[in-house]
Amino acid sequence: MALSASLNAAEERKPSRLGRVLEDRLPYLMVAPAILILLLVGLFPLIYSLIVSFQRITMTENDTSFVGLLNYAELFKDTRLWTSLGHTAIITVIALPLELLIGFLMAQLFVDRMPGRQLFVALLVLPTVISPIVAGATWRLMFDVRFGPIGQILSFFAGEPVRILWTVNPAYVYPAIIICEVWQWSPFMFLLLLAALSNVDQSQLEAAEIDGASYLRVLRGIVLPAIAPVIAVACLIRGLDLVRIFDIIWALTEGGPGSMTETISLYTYVQGFSQFETSYTAAISFLVIALLTLITTLVLKRMELAR
Amino acid sequence: MRIGRLPARKARILTIRYLGAGAVTLLFLFPVYWLFMISFKTPDEIYHVPPLWIPGQIQFSNYYVLFKDGDVLAILNSLIVAGVSSGIAIVLGTLCAYSLARFGTGGENLAMWIISQRMIPPIAVVFPIFLIYVYFGLVDGYFGLILLYTAFNLPYVIWMMRGYIVDVPLELEESALVDGLNRWEVIWKVVFPMVRPGLMATSVFTFVFAWNDFLFALVLTRTEVITFPVMLTHYFGGQSNFWAKIAAMSVLGTLPIFVAVSVMQRYLVRGISLGAVKG
Amino acid sequence: MKFRTFLSTAGVLALTCASAPAADKDAADTAVEAAKKYAGTTISIVWEAGLQSLDPLNYSGPQWEKLTGIKVKVVEVPTDQMFTKIMQDFKSGAGAYDALNVIPSWMPDLARAGALEPLDKYADKFGYRDELQDIAAAYRDNQMQYDGKIYGFPDDGDVMLLYYRKDIFEDPKMKDEFKAKFGYELAPPKDWKQFDEIGQFITDKMAPKVYGAGFFRTAPYPQYMFQERFRMEGGKFFNADTMKATVNGDVGLKVFKQMVAENKFMPPGVEQWNFVDNLAAFLQGTTAMTISWPPYGRWAAGYGSGEEALKWVPKSQVAGKVGYALTPLGRPELGVGFDLSVSATSKNKEAAYLFIQWLNSKKTSLERVQLPYTLRDPFRLSHYASEKYRALWPDAPAYLDTIKTSGEKGLLDLSLLQQDKYDEAMTKAISSLWAGEDPKAILDRMAQQFDAITEKVGIENQKAVYKVWAAKPGAYPQ
Repeated sequence: MALSASLNAAEERKPSRLGRVLEDRLPYLMVAPAILILLLVGLFPLIYSLIVSFQRITMTENDTSFVGLLNYAELFKDTRLWTSLGHTAIITVIALPLELLIGFLMAQLFVDRMPGRQLFVALLVLPTVISPIVAGATWRLMFDVRFGPIGQILSFFAGEPVRILWTVNPAYVYPAIIICEVWQWSPFMFLLLLAALSNVDQSQLEAAEIDGASYLRVLRGIVLPAIAPVIAVACLIRGLDLVRIFDIIWALTEGGPGSMTETISLYTYVQGFSQFETSYTAAISFLVIALLTLITTLVLKRMELAR
Repeated sequence: MRIGRLPARKARILTIRYLGAGAVTLLFLFPVYWLFMISFKTPDEIYHVPPLWIPGQIQFSNYYVLFKDGDVLAILNSLIVAGVSSGIAIVLGTLCAYSLARFGTGGENLAMWIISQRMIPPIAVVFPIFLIYVYFGLVDGYFGLILLYTAFNLPYVIWMMRGYIVDVPLELEESALVDGLNRWEVIWKVVFPMVRPGLMATSVFTFVFAWNDFLFALVLTRTEVITFPVMLTHYFGGQSNFWAKIAAMSVLGTLPIFVAVSVMQRYLVRGISLGAVKG
Repeated sequence: MKFRTFLSTAGVLALTCASAPAADKDAADTAVEAAKKYAGTTISIVWEAGLQSLDPLNYSGPQWEKLTGIKVKVVEVPTDQMFTKIMQDFKSGAGAYDALNVIPSWMPDLARAGALEPLDKYADKFGYRDELQDIAAAYRDNQMQYDGKIYGFPDDGDVMLLYYRKDIFEDPKMKDEFKAKFGYELAPPKDWKQFDEIGQFITDKMAPKVYGAGFFRTAPYPQYMFQERFRMEGGKFFNADTMKATVNGDVGLKVFKQMVAENKFMPPGVEQWNFVDNLAAFLQGTTAMTISWPPYGRWAAGYGSGEEALKWVPKSQVAGKVGYALTPLGRPELGVGFDLSVSATSKNKEAAYLFIQWLNSKKTSLERVQLPYTLRDPFRLSHYASEKYRALWPDAPAYLDTIKTSGEKGLLDLSLLQQDKYDEAMTKAISSLWAGEDPKAILDRMAQQFDAITEKVGIENQKAVYKVWAAKPGAYPQ
């Protein structure tokens, strides 16, 4: 972002010394407060956390002696931790493609102009903007075995009473979470893909239409390459969110039955706030940060491509 | 996508598309309808097997209880915390964004570092923040939450506003400077009117982020500043799930968001894609 | 850490200050008088979220404000977060809470951490020693003190009762058929084998209109039922010499298998039932037996129906048909319970103390345990004997007598250092059990988790605490 020379040339009215100093330092003064807050809340805690992670602090012991990598060694023995990472991966790997696919199909449906399209879109974004906690609570209502409509609807189609204990039965608890997740976030994908599809070069499409190219060929040859950057961005934003999924699960299952749906965020919470394993939680936090940094780097690269 | 379609079939296609659109919308809005409807049901209707799809009458006692017991204070707390933190983040973030966009302060690295702050998983920092807040006595106060949400929204504001400011033609600012306006006047009289819509949209999003946050609020609130999502989780439990309260509270807590986002419909895409997609 | 066993009643009495106020003023009036000087302040009290909170919100909070001018702010916290929230508040030194509801099995932890204010000096200052003697022994001896100091006033007579439908159990046709089939009288089950036989029998005869039994199965409560059953069948939680967990032995396995099997004769979906779901089923006449805390008995009798605050309770269809009995094997769990305590970080300790003394006093607590909509259960000898209470509904005397006996025979919840972690392990194990996991695998994992917690706490430390706990008469059936 080069500076225009005329900008400097224009700064010729300098009422006082102080004014000049302010004027010279202006770029930095403008940045300072924001950066300061970011350092205060973003960096400072991390440094603090790093120190703590080499100590042995728990709820009852305030043992600040340094124990080296003990907490980090513990990570590798902690099966519940790795299981929770596995759960997080399962949810991410299933929900993300589903959201993308459903979002894409919805976008296809609405991409051509039609009267009242704006209203449909306005209604469809609702799930995406409500609190994930509300989303989880809503689906808890929906899934309730006696008072929820899901069982009723399924019974109607099955012709016999269907009683699925969505949050108890291990076979259904992941579908329950994923249904809720996909319901909340497919509209997000839909919005981005709708914008992307609307920007696809119409003249190319019309040319293809005159050639009588098949739908699939047009999709592969013209549409997908055109919207690929947006898909990448959307997937990475959602992917990052999915890795830290917390609210929906908290409202739906609280990690149950047993620890069957405990994700890494939930597990970290449990260690930190109900087990009070201060030092160990700090170590887990760094593991999470390390894993996510990897993804984040990718995200930023993609973001740059798409800009 | 009009591919290999014959004009004669246009009307039929449109009908099919409307049917599809209607079906999709119904499917996605049904849970919202269910929530909304439960909030008007009496206990007998809520505990009716099989579930009733339409409440017998529209009655507001579920809402009344929330007002009577003071539960709605949580909504007020959320408004204060989300509102104030958005305001601060917008002011400081826009200044920072202007500096990045127009002076290239800190180069590409600073911009990158700022956006990377957005990607930090909340769960990884919430614990150290809690410990530090404990030390400084910031737990369960407005200030602590506002500071935190401000910090979490700043990267977003800076990133978005930088994009909007870059879109403002440089010539406008230059001619204003030549006319003898100082830098602040330029920002206020030239840049601000140009980016106002983007600014509004960004504020709505920062507000929504702060409003919807659950994890930080769960950890950092006790009695004084319980926010809406935390309040909602109080109605679940081994004892009972208070469906009436859950539904009524959810509706109350979703209305402001819905209104805000509806107003900002045009900017939705750019907003939620971190500026990557210009809708 | 040296533990002292409880001071005997006589000892406590001997310690009572000579300066105790004259007997004509009871503890409630004393508290009100002394609290008037704090008029205009606000105190906060942590209370279990939901139904429990109706008491301070609708009755005792407003009443106290009227009497003293002190405002009461009720902080509702879900059961499974009560310990962590209180601990966090203490750790943070925020002093957001003044008075607390503490679950007795967690009291040692909170007291050790220094989160609770010792109450002895206040009890002397405000003449509360006498009235403490009126609290039933099960609660007074086990839920009041830690290490010889008073940290909380037992305020809830929690104990499990067996409720059964007299009309079904006394139906001549059912009785005859049952006797012919099993060779003993159809009556409240004496052990779990009988429970299973009766439950299956009723389900076979009457389902889907009526099922043999229903229980609450959702976390966190079922673990208290497990604790009772496991010990009554002869199980021990730990090996007292090594502190190795012994929950995964044959007894644990037998109990787990039975618990899962019992779901089969209960209504479909019982695995998801919470306290209120189970209550609703019993009140609507869908289940013939259930085990739960005392409030069920009051609501089943139709006591308080028509109250605005009770709107959430489905109407009782079984009023007058409910019998009360001891749980199978006859030593019911004194599950959960509540103590009223004062937070050590409170900025209003004395006002907070006076509020809990007033709440807990003979006079006020008798009113509170009779509130139709709350879940505070009779816990004083004077409650059991109260003429007023015994006249509330026809079966009230039988009900109060059953509570009293159950309390006397009650089993204590396991209470060790960092008890909440053991609780979490048990809660999680049971929810895995409903999910259909192999009982043996669950128990092995639970034992592993127990051992890991014990190791973290320190084996020797925990061993000492366990020894003291296990020596109490209510810990293991002799």
